[in-house]
Amino acid sequence: MRRYALEGVHVLDFAWVGVGPITTKYLADNGADVIRIESAARIDVLRLGPPWKDAQPGINNSQFFASYNSSKKSVALDLSNPKARSLVQRLVPWADVVTESFTPKAMRNWGLDYEHLRELKPDVVMLSTCLQGQTGPNALYPGFGQLMAALCGFYHISGYDADSAPSPPYGAYTDFIAPRFAAALLLAALDYRRRSGRGQYIDMAQYEAALHFMAPAVIDYFATGRVQGREGNRSQNYAPHGAYRCRDEDGNERWMAIAVADDVEWRGLLSVFGDPVCDKRFATMAGRLENRKALDEFISTQVRDRVAAELTHQLQAAGVSAYPVQNCVDIHHDDNLAAFDFWHWLEHKQMGASPYEGLQHRLSRTPGELRTPAPILGEHSDEVLGGMLGLSAEEIAQLKQERVIF
Amino acid sequence: MNCELLKGFRMLDLSDDKGALCGKIFADLGADVIKVEPPGGAPTRRIAPFLDDKPGADTGLYFLAYEAGKRSVTLNLESAEGRDLFADLVRRSDFVLESFAVGYLDSLGVGYEALTHKNPRLIYTAITPFGDTGPGKDYKAADIVSWAAGGAMYLMGEPGKPPLQMSLPQAGLHAGAEAAVASLMAHYPREIEGVGQRVMVNMQACVVWTLMNEQAMPILHGDYLKRSGVFVGGLDVQRKMVFRCRDGYISILIIGGPAAPSTVALVNWMAEIGFAADWMKSKDWRGWTPGILMKATEQDRIEVAEFEDRVQAFFLTMDKQHIYTEGLKRRILLAPVATVADVAVDEQLAARKYFVTVEHDTLGRALKFPGAIAKLSQTPIGAPRRAPRLGEHNREVYGDLLGLSAERIAHLAEIGAI
Repeated sequence: MRRYALEGVHVLDFAWVGVGPITTKYLADNGADVIRIESAARIDVLRLGPPWKDAQPGINNSQFFASYNSSKKSVALDLSNPKARSLVQRLVPWADVVTESFTPKAMRNWGLDYEHLRELKPDVVMLSTCLQGQTGPNALYPGFGQLMAALCGFYHISGYDADSAPSPPYGAYTDFIAPRFAAALLLAALDYRRRSGRGQYIDMAQYEAALHFMAPAVIDYFATGRVQGREGNRSQNYAPHGAYRCRDEDGNERWMAIAVADDVEWRGLLSVFGDPVCDKRFATMAGRLENRKALDEFISTQVRDRVAAELTHQLQAAGVSAYPVQNCVDIHHDDNLAAFDFWHWLEHKQMGASPYEGLQHRLSRTPGELRTPAPILGEHSDEVLGGMLGLSAEEIAQLKQERVIF
Repeated sequence: MNCELLKGFRMLDLSDDKGALCGKIFADLGADVIKVEPPGGAPTRRIAPFLDDKPGADTGLYFLAYEAGKRSVTLNLESAEGRDLFADLVRRSDFVLESFAVGYLDSLGVGYEALTHKNPRLIYTAITPFGDTGPGKDYKAADIVSWAAGGAMYLMGEPGKPPLQMSLPQAGLHAGAEAAVASLMAHYPREIEGVGQRVMVNMQACVVWTLMNEQAMPILHGDYLKRSGVFVGGLDVQRKMVFRCRDGYISILIIGGPAAPSTVALVNWMAEIGFAADWMKSKDWRGWTPGILMKATEQDRIEVAEFEDRVQAFFLTMDKQHIYTEGLKRRILLAPVATVADVAVDEQLAARKYFVTVEHDTLGRALKFPGAIAKLSQTPIGAPRRAPRLGEHNREVYGDLLGLSAERIAHLAEIGAI
C-alpha cells in the first residue's frame, strides 16, 4: 500500500505567484514529484515578497514564497535561452502533469504550449491558469488576485452599506479560490487519464472559477435585476449576526462573532447573559430580524465587558455559534488549530526554522504532509539535470557558465 | 452534455452550507450526486435570500446555485428503516459527504466505521468547523464565525467600526471546494488500490488559507495588520487600494519594482490629461517600492500621498468602464470594483461564452448561471441540471438503483423512513 495518495505522479510546474503554486502544492504535499521550472530571468515575484526571515528581503528569504512551495524541487533556468528550453523539453516525457500560470502568450512564445508538449508526451494533462483565460479580448490582462477580486465583484459586496466605500478582503482573494477548483480538476483529470489513456488541456480563467463564489448573486441579477450590495454583517438567516466588541485585551480591541440561527439558540444566548430583561420583539426570529439595530445594541451592551474566550465557551456550551475575531497572532495560539496540528515549523536551508501553514484537510489512510520546506532557487538544478537528464558535471558547469541554468 | 471526468461515480451528499459546493463540483464533473435530504428538506433549501423574495423550498438562491446538478431523495436517518436504506445506498456509492455535528452519524450507527464495513472502497468526507479532536470539536460555526476564527474577518472593515464578513458568506464555499480537492485526493489511490478512507476538512483552516502572506507577519516582522478600509498597511505607510471614480470605484496597484511599467503607463496617461506632477514623469519607478520591499521613508510617504491624491482627482473625471478599457489598452494594473451587473455584461466573459442557461420547470423560467469552472479539451463541462425538488428522485433511486418495489417505497414513505 502506498504512503501518499499521489506517489509516482510527476509534475513539471512552470507556474508562479499564487494560484499555480498553491495548486501544485496540493499535489506535492500528497507525494507527487513536483519540479518547479523557475525562470532566473523572471524570478517568481513571490520570492521577493514579504514576510522575510528577520525582515530581510532576499530571493531565498520569503515566507510568502515558501508557504506555497513546500515539498517541491526547484530548477532554475533562463527560459529565454533556447538551450534552456530544449533541456526543459527533454523533461516533458517524464511529466504526467504540466502546469503554468503566465499570461497566455508566454508558453506559446517559448514553444512550450499544449500543442508542442503533447508531441513530446501525448497523454500529458496540462493546466494553464491565468486571470481571464487563454482566449478572448482580455486574455492578456495583467494583474494580481487583488484586482481579480475587484473585477469578480467581491470588493463591491464588502463594506458597511451602499453609502460607504468598499472594505475589501485582505490580499489577492481569488488566489485562494481558484486553486481549489484547479486541484480538483487536475486530480479528476489524472484519474480519467489512468482509466482512458487520454490526457487533456485545461484552460482555467481565475475570473471564471472565482465567480462560482458569487453564484447566488449572479443568478439573482440575471433573473430579477437585483444587484447584491454591501450589507455590513446583516443577515437574513441569523439574528443576532455580527461582530460585537468585548472587553479590551492588552490595550487592544477584542471582538467576537456571534450568530443565532433560531429561537432555541436565542434562549441559550439569553441564559448565558443571565436572562436579562429585553425587548419583547426579540423573542422570535422574525422580530429580531425586523429590529436588527436595537438587537445589535442589546447584544453589544451584554458583551462589552465580557472576556471573549470565556464567553465563547459559555455561548458554545449553550448551543450558540460564537468565536473571537482572531488576528494573525491569535491564530498561531489557537487551541483548535493546534489540536488539528495545523502549524508546522520546517527547517529551510537559508531561513532556518520557519512557520508554514499546514493542510486544510486530513486523509486517514494516506495523509499528506509538508514533506520538505520550500526549495531555494535552483536547489535541485544539478540533481534534476544530472540525475534525470544524464548531464555530466562538466556539461552542467558549462551551462552555468553560459547562464543557461542557475 | 454531462462531463465525462467523474462519469460512473456516485456521491451521497448529506451536507449543508459547509459542503454543498463540493457536491456541485462533483456534479459539474459528471458524477451522479444524490442529495440525501431529511423529510423536511436539506437546510440549504431554507437559506435566504429567495428568488423574487418569495420563500419556498425551490426558490432559495443559494439552493438554486449550489444544489444544481444533483438528484434528491428523502431519507430519515433517525428511523431504523431509513438507516438500512442509507446503508444500501452507501454500498452502491463511491463518496459520502456530510457536515453534521462531529459524531452525529456515529451516534446513529452510520458513521465512517460502520459504513466502511459495508463498502471498503468508500470515501467518507466530513466537513467540520474546527476539526474533530480539539476543544472546539463540538462547536457550532455559522459562516461568519468561521470567517472570524480563521482570521479573515479581522482584516476587513474600517477602524472604529466592526470587523466584517462579505455580504455573500464565503467560508462554507472554501470548505466545500476544499472537500472536493480532498475527496478526489483520496479517490486517486482508491481507484488503484481499491481501498477508501476517511477525509476530514477543517473549515477554520480553510479560512486561514485565505490570509495570503499575512499569517507569518507577526512572527517574522513582529507586526500585523489591522482593518483599514480601502487602505492596506505596508511598512510604515498605508497604500490606498480603492479610489472613487465618477460612477463607482476602481481598484489599482500603484507599485514599482517588477510592476513599474504599469505605473509608468499610468503616469503617462495622467500626463496626457494634465494630472501628473513633473516629478512623477521623471521618476525611475523601477526602484520605487515604499512599504513593500523596504520601510517607507519620509520622502516615500510624501510621494505616496501626492500620487494617490492625483490619481483620485484623475479617476473622478471618468467612468469605471472607461478607466478599465484604457487600463487594458495601456496595460495598467487596475480593475473596476465591479457589481454583478458589470460582470453580467463583461465582454471577456461574453467572448468565452461563459454564462449558461438552466431551464427551471420548477419555477417556470430559465435562469442564467456561472458557466464551466474551466475549459477542458477532452471532457468539457456543460451546464448543470436544475436543482431537484425535494424527493424528486425517490422512485428513480430507490426503485431503479436499489430495486425496491413501488409497494415497498410506498410503505417506507408511510412509516416515515423516506
